[in-house]
Amino acid sequence: MAELRGFLWLMGFLLLGEIAVALLYLPFSAGVTGLVLLTLFFIASGQLNSDIAAASQPLIGLLAMLIMPGVVGVFFIADQFAGQWLAVGGALTLGTLLSVASTLWLMRRLMPAPAPAADSADRQRTP
Amino acid sequence: MSERLHLLTASLAGSPALAIFLTVAAYLIGIRLFTRLGRPAWCPPVLVAALVVAIALWALAIDYADYRQGAGWLMLLLGPATVALGVPLYQQKRHILGLWKPLLLSLPVAATLASAYAVLIAWLLGATPVVIASLAPKSVTAPIAIGIIDQLGGSLPLMMGGLLVTGVMATLATEPLARRMGIQDHRIIGFALGLNGHAIGTVRAFDLSPRAGAFASLGMSLTGVFTALLLPLVWSLPRLIG
Repeated sequence: MAELRGFLWLMGFLLLGEIAVALLYLPFSAGVTGLVLLTLFFIASGQLNSDIAAASQPLIGLLAMLIMPGVVGVFFIADQFAGQWLAVGGALTLGTLLSVASTLWLMRRLMPAPAPAADSADRQRTP
Repeated sequence: MSERLHLLTASLAGSPALAIFLTVAAYLIGIRLFTRLGRPAWCPPVLVAALVVAIALWALAIDYADYRQGAGWLMLLLGPATVALGVPLYQQKRHILGLWKPLLLSLPVAATLASAYAVLIAWLLGATPVVIASLAPKSVTAPIAIGIIDQLGGSLPLMMGGLLVTGVMATLATEPLARRMGIQDHRIIGFALGLNGHAIGTVRAFDLSPRAGAFASLGMSLTGVFTALLLPLVWSLPRLIG
């Protein structure tokens, strides 16, 4: 029953997200608002709720399947965006190369050097 | 006989039972094929699974719009599943508290750039507003990106295609670029994989080391939430101004 109780919690936070979006005219999706509210709830209570954790694990494991109906559409849009493919391809390939390089550059400047103990532990795990 | 078969597929076309059956079956087939191919980074299992569904729809002469209507019942679970992402985010608390300063400085900039480069390049190359809106959340993990696309008015399939290409590109580019820049820190490589390549990059990071994987999850979650709050605000600016 832990999963069902956890599912009820998740639906409750989704509902809270919907209420917040409607009342405050937020431009965000109810799911993301619920995600933020749930995280704030964990921070406020200082711990994970074990029922919610039990329900979250299988749901997150199924995420890839839940998005499939959208992914299938990829094979049916060739005509719909004719004439746009150069822009799409350029934005995706060049844009991603630039953003990866930017992230690496930023993090190299800002990250403190790794703690040596933790680093050697990593090396043992991945010989 | 063939007429009756035609009538049958016509009546089943919008059926949730058929759409959900096809989706679950194709997903399991996709996972199996992916494992048999040796888990290639350039071909995420969900793409194989989606191809299986597309072929089945073509063979049964079912419209994609009908299929999506039926499978919409399955997508309803995306709501609670998105909320559930708060659990892994909270579990990253230790990393977030330990590195709050570099994260606070780099994440907003890097996540904004991940979207801004694509928007800018698409705009320069003459993309329509719908295409630009569909590409903007390209580095956001899919369940969150679906929520964003509803707000921006983009095309869901185009957004999904963009997500897949971005994930694969980021996975292929991150390690060579890191090598060229002399970066060996798995925290940085993992973070860049998750921030830019969402779930696809995170899978690759877990192949590198558990530490890279943890930082990829962190980069993915934070980018998803940050972008989900940023893009709808940016998109509603013109309306607010006039």
